[in-house]
Amino acid sequence: MTTTTAPEPTKAPLIPPSTHRYADVIHRLEAGGSMLPDTPENLKQIIGIYKAYAVPMDFYWRDLLYIAEQVFLNPLPAFKYFISKEYLDRPNSYAGDQSQLRIWRGTEKAHPELLEFMDRGETRRMPKLLHHLWHDRVNMEFAEACMQAMLWHQGMGGRFNDYLESDAYKANADRAIKAYFKGNPLMLGLYKLFPEMVLEQVRQLSYYANLGLFWEVMAPVFFEMSDIYDEGGFKGVPDAMDFLVNGIFAVAGRPIYHHVFIDGECFEIIPKSEGFTWLYEAALPYVEAVFYRTSPFRGTKSYNAQAGQVPANQADFHYGILYADVYPVGSAGIPPTLLMQDVLHFLPPYLKEIYKQHRRGEEDELIQLGITFQRSMYNVTSAVIQALRCALLYPLDDTDPKHLQANRAFFEAQMDRFLRPEARLPDIQTQDYR
Amino acid sequence: MTLLLLLLIPVVVACGLPLLPAESPWVRRLALLAALAQMSVGLLAWRTPPADLSVSWLPKLGLRLDLGLDGLSLPLVLLAALITAMAVLATPVGQSRPRLFFALLLVTNVGLMGSFLARNALLFVLAYELIMIPTTLLVAIWGGERRAGAAIRFLIYGAVSGITLLAAVLAFGWLNPGGVDFSFTDLAHHNLTLQQQHWLLALVLVAFGLKLPIVPLHGWQPLTYSQAPTPVAMLLSGAVSKLGAYGLLRFGIQFLPDAWSDWSAWIAAVGAVSAIYGALNAIAQLDMRRLVAYSSLGHMGFLVLALAAATPLSLQGMMAQILAHGLIIALLFCLVGLIETKTGTAEIPALSGLLNAQRGLPFTMGLLLLALMAAAGVPGQAGFVAELLVFEGSWVAYPIPTLVCLVSSGFTAVYAVRLFNRVGFGRLDNAKADWASTSWGERVPALVLTALVLVGGIWPALLTGWSEDATAPLALRSSDAVTVIAAAPHTSISELSA
Repeated sequence: MTTTTAPEPTKAPLIPPSTHRYADVIHRLEAGGSMLPDTPENLKQIIGIYKAYAVPMDFYWRDLLYIAEQVFLNPLPAFKYFISKEYLDRPNSYAGDQSQLRIWRGTEKAHPELLEFMDRGETRRMPKLLHHLWHDRVNMEFAEACMQAMLWHQGMGGRFNDYLESDAYKANADRAIKAYFKGNPLMLGLYKLFPEMVLEQVRQLSYYANLGLFWEVMAPVFFEMSDIYDEGGFKGVPDAMDFLVNGIFAVAGRPIYHHVFIDGECFEIIPKSEGFTWLYEAALPYVEAVFYRTSPFRGTKSYNAQAGQVPANQADFHYGILYADVYPVGSAGIPPTLLMQDVLHFLPPYLKEIYKQHRRGEEDELIQLGITFQRSMYNVTSAVIQALRCALLYPLDDTDPKHLQANRAFFEAQMDRFLRPEARLPDIQTQDYR
Repeated sequence: MTLLLLLLIPVVVACGLPLLPAESPWVRRLALLAALAQMSVGLLAWRTPPADLSVSWLPKLGLRLDLGLDGLSLPLVLLAALITAMAVLATPVGQSRPRLFFALLLVTNVGLMGSFLARNALLFVLAYELIMIPTTLLVAIWGGERRAGAAIRFLIYGAVSGITLLAAVLAFGWLNPGGVDFSFTDLAHHNLTLQQQHWLLALVLVAFGLKLPIVPLHGWQPLTYSQAPTPVAMLLSGAVSKLGAYGLLRFGIQFLPDAWSDWSAWIAAVGAVSAIYGALNAIAQLDMRRLVAYSSLGHMGFLVLALAAATPLSLQGMMAQILAHGLIIALLFCLVGLIETKTGTAEIPALSGLLNAQRGLPFTMGLLLLALMAAAGVPGQAGFVAELLVFEGSWVAYPIPTLVCLVSSGFTAVYAVRLFNRVGFGRLDNAKADWASTSWGERVPALVLTALVLVGGIWPALLTGWSEDATAPLALRSSDAVTVIAAAPHTSISELSA
C-alpha cells in the first residue's frame, strides 16, 4: 500500500539537490526515510518510548470515551478519572478477538501493566480515592490538555469542527442535553438562559470522543511495534516509520463519532453516518494542534504574555512537542512533566539502561525520556508527512522529474515549519542531544 | 598550654603532612582534624579562659612570646579555625600536590592564630607577615589563569601593608621617651603627643586598610579573590581580611584613641565610600567571583563605619559583622566555587537555569539564595543582626555616612537578585548542561556555613555574646554619641578580658 521504498542508489538523481537549510533531512525523506536519523540507538529509543507511552495511552483513550459518553455534562465531575470496569474492559476496536476490525495483535482489554499500576501505583496498594488524592495515578490531565489544544485551535483540516456549529449537531446535542438534565430544573433553567454555554461543553465533549477514538488506534499500534522490535523485526528507523504509515492507511477511513449513553439509551450527537474519518478528522488535526501548536504551558503563560512572547495569531503558536524545550520541566506546550511522569512508570529495561549511561543516569531520567519522546514524535510526524505525500502527491520512485519536484516542494514546505529557532529538528540530528 | 596548643596543632600537622604519601586520603583528613582540634581547643578556652602566656624571646629587640585570649580575639580564633576546616572540606578531592596545598593552608592558619593571640606588637607583626608567604604561594600555584598577576599584586600590596605596620610598631618604641617593650599593655599606656599619634594612625590605617581592604587601597582584592582557588578565597575573605578590622580596633582605637577621635569623621567617610563603591561595582560585574569580591569590599565599608563611630553598639556590631561576614563571604565563595567546578565557568552571562531540578544545581542554588539573602541583610540571618547593630550604633555619631551605607546595603539586594535571576532562572542550555550533580561531600562545608548563618540570625548571641564585654570599654563615644569618653582607650588588656 505505501510507496516509501527508496529509489535505487545506482540511478542518477532526476532533480538537483535541495538547497533548503534542512536539505539533508529532505533528501532522507525523499529516500523514504524519517526526519529522525536512522541509527540503532534512535530505533531503540523510539520503540522503547512508544511502548512506555502506549500503556498510559491505553488508559487515556478509555477514559476520554468514558467522559464523553458516560460522565457527559455532570456539573461536578469529580470522579471522571475513576473509569468504570465496563470501559476498562471495553474491547479495542482494532485489537483482540472481539475487535470490529482486527488489525493489530494485542488484546482487547486494558493492558496488564496498566491494571497493575492502577492497583499499586508507585507507592502501594490502597483505595482508589487515596491513589487519586496522592496523585499516584495516570495523569489524565495530559490527555485533557491535548484535547483542549484540539478544541482551542479548531479548523485544522477536515469537516469535524465545522459540523460542531451546524444545526444538525445542535439539534442532536439539544436532545442529549435535555435527556441528561431531565428532572433537573436548575440545570434545564441554566440551559434555557445560557444555551451556548452548555452547547460549548458538549462540543468539548465531542473532542473528548474524537481524541479517544484517535488514541484507541495508536495504543495497539505502539504495543505491536514494541513486540516486533523485541522479535528483531525492525531493521531501522524507516521500518518503524513505514509501520506507522501502513497503520495510518489501514484505519484512515474508520469513523469518528460521538455517542452519549443516558439511562441506557444511546444519543448520537455525531453519528457515524456523517462520515467523519480517523485520518482527516482526528489524526491530522491532532498532529497540528498537539505536535506543532498547543499553547504556552499554563504555569508560564502569564509570564510569556507579559514578555510579549505569545503571538496574537493562534496559527503562529509553536509550543508543541516538536518545539518544546523539555529541559526546564514544565516550560511550554502540552505539559511535558505530566506525560513524562506517566511514561516513566512503564519504561522498558533497555531504555532505562541507555539513560543510566548518559548525563546523570537515573537522576535525570525524566528529561532524557522527554527528549526521547521528542525524537519519537518527529518519527510519527515523518510518518504523517509521508502519508500525506502518499495521499496527495506522487510515489517516491516516480520517474517524472515534475512529480519529484512537486514532492520536493511539499517536503520543503513541511521543513519550513522547522526553520524557527525553537524547533528541535536540528537537535535530534545528533545523538548528543539527550 | 591551651594557647600554645592553638598554635602548635597546625604547626605540627603542617610539618607532618610532607611525610605522608601524596595520594593518601590522610593528608586531607589530618588537615581537617587539625582545624577541628584547634576549634575544640578554642571552645575549651571559651569555657575555661586560659591564663596569658609570656615567655622571653629576643629581649634586646623587645620581642616576647606574649599570648593571650580575650573577648576580641576568641571569636576570631574560632572563626579562623572554622573557616580553615571548611576550606579543607571545600578542597576538591583530586587536588594536585595535596601535601603542599594543605600544609600552606595550615601555615596560613598559624599566621592567623599568631596574630589573634599575640599580646606583643612585634610578635603580631611577625605572625601578620607570616600569612603573606603561604597565601601568595597558594594563589600563585593553584590559582586561575591570571594567577601570576594576582599573586604578584597580592604580594606587593601585602608587603607594603606589612612594612607599614612594622614601621608603625617600631615608631611606637622610638617615639616613646621612656621606650616600650612592644607589649600591648605598654602600647596602651604610651605618652605620645597628638601629632605623633596622627602620624602613627596614618601608618596603621594604611597597613590595615590594605588588609581589609578599603577604597582606595583595594587594588589587589578583586583580582586575587577571583583568581585564588576556592578554599583560599574562602580563607582570605572569611578570616584573613578580618585581621584588618581587628588591627584597626587594637592599634587604632585602643592604642591611638585621641588621633582616632580626631580623624573618625574622615574614616567614616572612607567606610561609606568603600561601601557604595563596592556595591555599585558588584552590580556591574559579569563574573561571579568578582561580584562576590566587590560585595566583600562593600561590606568592609560597614566595618570601617562602625569602627569610626566607636560607640558601644557600633563596636559590638563591628564584631558581629566580622563573624557574620566571615561566615557569609566564605559561604558565597564556597558556593560560587562549587558552581564553577561543575559548570566550568563563573561568568554570569554564560550561566542560566541552574535552578532546574533535573539537570541544574538546585541544592547549591538554594543555598546560594540563602547566602545572598544573608549578604543583603534579610532578617532571620546573621547579616541582618550585624548590619542592624552597625547602622544603629553608627547613626548617632555619623548619620550621613550611615545613610550612605544603608543605601549600599540596598544595592546588595540589587546585585543579589540580579545574580540569582540570571544564573538561577531562564533556560538551561542543553549543550552545556552535562555535569554531575553535587555530592553530599561537596555540600558539607556550604551546609555547615549556612546552618551557622541561620543560627546567627535566629540566635544573635552567637555573634555578639563573645565580645560584648570586651568592646564596651573600647568605645570612644557613649551610645548617644554626645559624650566623648576619654579614659576608656587606656583600659588594660587584662581588664578587657571577657
